[in-house]
Amino acid sequence: MLHCLFLALGLWLLPPREVALRAFQLNGYAQGTTYAITYYAADSAVTSADVARQLAEIDASMSLYQPGSLINRFNAAPRGVVADQHLKVVVRKALQVYQDTDGRFDATVEPLVRAWGFSTQHTEAPPSAAAIQAILKGVGSEKLHLRGDSLVKDQPAVHLDLNGIAQGYTVDVLAALLESRHIRNYLVELGGEIRVRGHKFPSRELMRIGIERPDTSDLLPTSMQQVIRLAAGGVTTSGNYRKFKRWGAVKSAHLIDPKTGYPFQNELISVTVVAPDALTADAYDNALMGMGLTKALTFLQRHANLQAYLIYQRPDGTIADTATPGFQRLLSPE
Amino acid sequence: MDFPRRDFLKKTGLLTSGLLLHQELAAAFVAPVAAGKLKIGIIGCGDRGTGLLKILQELTDKFEVVALCDDLPFRLTAAQKIGSGAKAKTYTDYHALLDARTVDAVIISVPLNLHFQVAKDALAAGKQVYLEKTMTYDIPQALELVRLAQLRPNQTLQVGHQYRYSPLYYRVKEMIKQGYLGKVTQIDCRWDRNGSWRRPVPEPSLERKINWRMYREYSGGLAAELLSHQMDFINWAFDTHADEIFGTGGIDYYKDGRETYDNVQVMARYAKEGIVGNFGATCGNARDGYLFKLKGTKGTISLLVDEGVYYPEKDTLKQYGTVDGVTGATKITWNKDGGIPITTGAEPLKDGSWYALNDFYRAVNEKKLPDSNVFTGARAACTVHLANHAIYNHTIEKWQPEYNLT
Repeated sequence: MLHCLFLALGLWLLPPREVALRAFQLNGYAQGTTYAITYYAADSAVTSADVARQLAEIDASMSLYQPGSLINRFNAAPRGVVADQHLKVVVRKALQVYQDTDGRFDATVEPLVRAWGFSTQHTEAPPSAAAIQAILKGVGSEKLHLRGDSLVKDQPAVHLDLNGIAQGYTVDVLAALLESRHIRNYLVELGGEIRVRGHKFPSRELMRIGIERPDTSDLLPTSMQQVIRLAAGGVTTSGNYRKFKRWGAVKSAHLIDPKTGYPFQNELISVTVVAPDALTADAYDNALMGMGLTKALTFLQRHANLQAYLIYQRPDGTIADTATPGFQRLLSPE
Repeated sequence: MDFPRRDFLKKTGLLTSGLLLHQELAAAFVAPVAAGKLKIGIIGCGDRGTGLLKILQELTDKFEVVALCDDLPFRLTAAQKIGSGAKAKTYTDYHALLDARTVDAVIISVPLNLHFQVAKDALAAGKQVYLEKTMTYDIPQALELVRLAQLRPNQTLQVGHQYRYSPLYYRVKEMIKQGYLGKVTQIDCRWDRNGSWRRPVPEPSLERKINWRMYREYSGGLAAELLSHQMDFINWAFDTHADEIFGTGGIDYYKDGRETYDNVQVMARYAKEGIVGNFGATCGNARDGYLFKLKGTKGTISLLVDEGVYYPEKDTLKQYGTVDGVTGATKITWNKDGGIPITTGAEPLKDGSWYALNDFYRAVNEKKLPDSNVFTGARAACTVHLANHAIYNHTIEKWQPEYNLT
């Protein structure tokens, strides 16, 4: 009886408009970094446990750090493995971007990265020319194929590394998880890669995304370079700052050219890409870094689905930046 | 190219200066071209002398250890076993070492009461001098050493406040200047240990020689040996000095015949900056260990010897928390307690002495004033002396205009 009364009162008191959306936040550690999810919903439709389950599934497929993961089994196998859905989606994208960027994005570059000491193992000196030539024989995504339900390789030495795009893919998967629970307003971030959709409530403003300023200081307060507002899409950044090695006078950046076997040497400091999804953005940001400024801008003119913001160093050492017109439209007036 | 190359950078100056500072720092630690090795002698082969001798083994492109001096033979024997120490000529009398023409430079790491005399003699002998901290035992010696050093502009005198030579401490100084902390009002410094601070003595007659830190005739106690580093850093980072110093302390746990206090606390007022500095050291608890916290209206910096964390105040966070997400190539990872680690580049930090000795080499070759020089050394020595006066005499000590040296 009492229940009925409350129910009746409640219905009467509730405004006939839509239910109020509240902000929910989930934070945690994953893939060697942190993640942060904000979503707007009437109730906590997605929990940390849901996210953890999804992350564990991706790790079991694509983590090089997890013994027995599918990717580790592929790398150990002489010929290949039966691929799961995650691996199929990501490898398909990797191969497509490999083609599209003339091989500048290459998911088989890991042995070179390791030789240059940017993997988990420390190296005392840069690799010799001979060592690089030997490694190059096993590098190249044309040696990688999706056939039926399998992922196969032409040579046993081919080593797959999806770390460059796994984070972009992961935020897409987490976004899909939110979408499956009818959430349409959210921002998912993992390791600085972002997937966003919708508005904030109650302000109904678009989400604001800051682009980190490349600096050695690692400090937040003055480090925001630009702020964009984005209704929907993926935003990722690749950069040559913070991660480099010094060999005496020579400084090597951590992005290695899969064609030459040597670190990319050009004026670009960082590239931020906006694309319909984060997997696409994440696959292209590295490749654009490798192209250098002029080629990257030409490339972007031919790719209407990509918008980018590039920070580079002028010959006189000063820092400058530029962006595609589409990116400029996203910039938030301060 | 069709794209308008509009410059979006609003903070080009800041960004560029950030990058440049790093390069300058890096450049400071590379070997100058065509400069020869510095032939160096170590006067005093105790803990500090042998510690520096070990660091010199990593800098064999810049230094050649040619002489070792100590009046305790067993210390010389021990020092000779370190790296290239065996090749060095040994002396028991430092005057003889200073007479040796083969020695260009000396490290002076003797008990505090001898700093002034040995440094004075070394300058007179034409040597380049790396003098351990605290620069001198008292204020008159500090003022006199400044005068003597000024008479010898072609010689370097560097003072061994090595911690602030770490790129981390340079970065913190820069952050203070850039306003990350806002207005700093309080600085907390501790250097606590749980132990007697005594060294083993092979025979009783050597007690005062080896455990000189226990006796006021030779030592400035915990203030001189430990807290002087933080006092020096504050002077350097804020370009200031304490105007008023209060102190207290006692022999509160180790009642073993020592004269220097095993438990001290000093308060200093920096009037111009409006900062209160709190400095404490005890031999009776090690929980805090080395603690160095700079507290400002916008944030706190918490420093260890080789680690630093920046904690923005709540309002500072709000100011920058207007974005919903941040994209970046190598993401800033917040500590679980809400701090941001302060980093100085990709290379792991080395011991402060490594950077200090590199700067010594540069200062000698380029005839430049080192960052820890006779003036800053004197400022720290005056501060320590005032602190000890306050501690032992229960007085309030005031900075005097004649301590202002440039």
